[in-house]
Amino acid sequence: MRYGLVALGLLVFAGMSGCSSMGVEPWERDILAKSEMQLTTDPIEAATDDHIYFSKEASSGGRGFGGGGCGCN
Amino acid sequence: MTILSSIARSLIALAVLICIAVQPVQAADEVPDLAQYEGKVVIVDFWASWCVPCRRSFPWLNSMHEKYAENGLVIIGVNLDQVRADADSFLTEFPASFRIYFDESKELAREFDVVAMPSSYLLGRDGELRERHYGFKVKKQDEYEAAIIAALDNVE
Amino acid sequence: MVAVVAATKGQTMKKNDKMSISGALAAATCTLLGTAAVEPVEAQEEPGWDFNTSLLYYGEADDRVQDLSLKTLSRRTFVDDRYLSLGLTVDALTGATPNGALPQSFPQTFTKPSGKNTFTTPPGEFPIDDSFRDTRVAVTANWEQPLGRLYALNVGVSGSAEFDYLHLGVNAKLSRDFNNRNTTVSGGFAYASDELDPVGGVPVGLTQMQNVRDEDEPSGRAGQESKDVVDLVLGVTQVISRNFLLQVNYSYSDSSGYLSDPYKIVTVVDAVTGDAVPIPQPPNGEGPSHLNFYEHRPDSRSKHSLYARGKYYMSGKVLDASYRYMTDDWEIDSHTLDMRLRLPISDRTYLEPHLRFYTQTAADFYRISLTENEPLPEYVSADYRLADFDAITAGLKFGWKTGGGNDMSVRLELYKQSGNVSSGDLIGSQADRDAYPDMDAIIFQYSYLFGK
Repeated sequence: MRYGLVALGLLVFAGMSGCSSMGVEPWERDILAKSEMQLTTDPIEAATDDHIYFSKEASSGGRGFGGGGCGCN
Repeated sequence: MTILSSIARSLIALAVLICIAVQPVQAADEVPDLAQYEGKVVIVDFWASWCVPCRRSFPWLNSMHEKYAENGLVIIGVNLDQVRADADSFLTEFPASFRIYFDESKELAREFDVVAMPSSYLLGRDGELRERHYGFKVKKQDEYEAAIIAALDNVE
Repeated sequence: MVAVVAATKGQTMKKNDKMSISGALAAATCTLLGTAAVEPVEAQEEPGWDFNTSLLYYGEADDRVQDLSLKTLSRRTFVDDRYLSLGLTVDALTGATPNGALPQSFPQTFTKPSGKNTFTTPPGEFPIDDSFRDTRVAVTANWEQPLGRLYALNVGVSGSAEFDYLHLGVNAKLSRDFNNRNTTVSGGFAYASDELDPVGGVPVGLTQMQNVRDEDEPSGRAGQESKDVVDLVLGVTQVISRNFLLQVNYSYSDSSGYLSDPYKIVTVVDAVTGDAVPIPQPPNGEGPSHLNFYEHRPDSRSKHSLYARGKYYMSGKVLDASYRYMTDDWEIDSHTLDMRLRLPISDRTYLEPHLRFYTQTAADFYRISLTENEPLPEYVSADYRLADFDAITAGLKFGWKTGGGNDMSVRLELYKQSGNVSSGDLIGSQADRDAYPDMDAIIFQYSYLFGK
């Protein structure tokens, strides 16, 4: 079960990398440029939660990085 | 005399604002009038109100207009906002000294193959594309300006 | 298709040179009126500071952990999308945490980690480790900048210190955009080197809880231990549509070194009655009243996680939902489902309900208790954080923009953990008592963002 899920995940992952036809034109990123649509809307809240759950549970992290947003420059 | 001229300036400013505000929807099959730009160096700059580097480029574009308009530089700002009201309020806060068009159908953006925001196209006096810039970097301002000067002097 | 203008003045145009500027009439009007009168805008002062500050209260019921924390994140923006972020967190911790021993129908006495005295737990209660936590300070520093047009680099360091723990770490991330920035692929790496300096030294795992020691009596313990953690993350962020963003990350984490908790023990119970086994008190002095062993975890752990997150915009509302699956070589599997829905109330205020579901299976060496006279296992821990349990968080956040244009918010959340103890694991009288210290906690946080 465990390896099945990991394999499924990697497949989704690989599939996403193949989504080169998906997306929007550069001028259609107005909504994605909004602050509430960023992946890091509240870094302190995210860090707080990460720390609380890391201290109280056996799992940690997982989230990450950049992308999305206005896509400018 | 001074009161009259300041009234005149205000009226012109108002007219410009109205002019920008009542810009009609771009019709796809209108014949563009290039005549007025022949022999001039043209910068076509695609921007949107939500694009932060676009906002950074405005003061620079304004200063380029101020410096080189007399030498034959024409700057055309093409707005690609999805919501026109956003562009209008942006221009109220950051007025442009160059002319602005609203490419509502985004035809122009597709014609110019815009792949990044902002995108800027430098056309020489002969109408040929000389440079294409994706993005706006404050550190490259001198480079951009040198390209304009070269175009104005008709230097390769 | 817009007509190419080649005709107008006999100019030849390359494909990309088409200057199809329509609206000629309006253009003519604009030209006529001119634009000379308008004052050009001054350069916006982009480079500057912005600050993110918050005050947090975290409190668990039943005299367990309480934490008051002040957090700040200061960011200095430099020209052309370069940033320096500096974080500082100060925590004041009090309270205690279950030490792994089970409640009994009689009082139990334990030696404190310092080895200087003992504490007694009343019947029916989970023994909680009398904590000496005081202050914790954590700092982070990160530098972020673009590399060329399509790459972005983020490098940073982190450190934290508390009375018995020191952490030092470095991290780096590189991302690259594809498909007109619709796709972003990122890779990250973090290395942490931590040092434990527990009160009373590091006990030897799977040995009996020691008696109270005199000042000059050697403890037979190591003073410090260390552990190293390496984290690797690979992620893809994809713009699905104008209002839908999706992110998928795969993470791998490898820990090695001293991974046990020096303050945690495991109760030994009678194989029939299920009661803790009493032991004789030392002749001169104090010691534990019942048989307990210090826990002992493996000296390595490797974890794999798969995480997917979507942000979806629907006319002003934003749904942020994520799912994470984690599996490791301690046989722990976990699932996390986290959902937030941002609901604007006015153009200056919003409400954001939050719901989080979590479940994990136990580590293969997790035991509620050891049985008297059974051969000692190689590894054992009764730490509730390695047990089979479910947790739920429900919260509400209210945010607003101040008159000055800054952002403030408050959030209140309830976090509840409930153990999944299989009755087949319970011996004798253990069925009459709790085997997992269920936890209820409150999270209250106030945040203030200000700056440019």
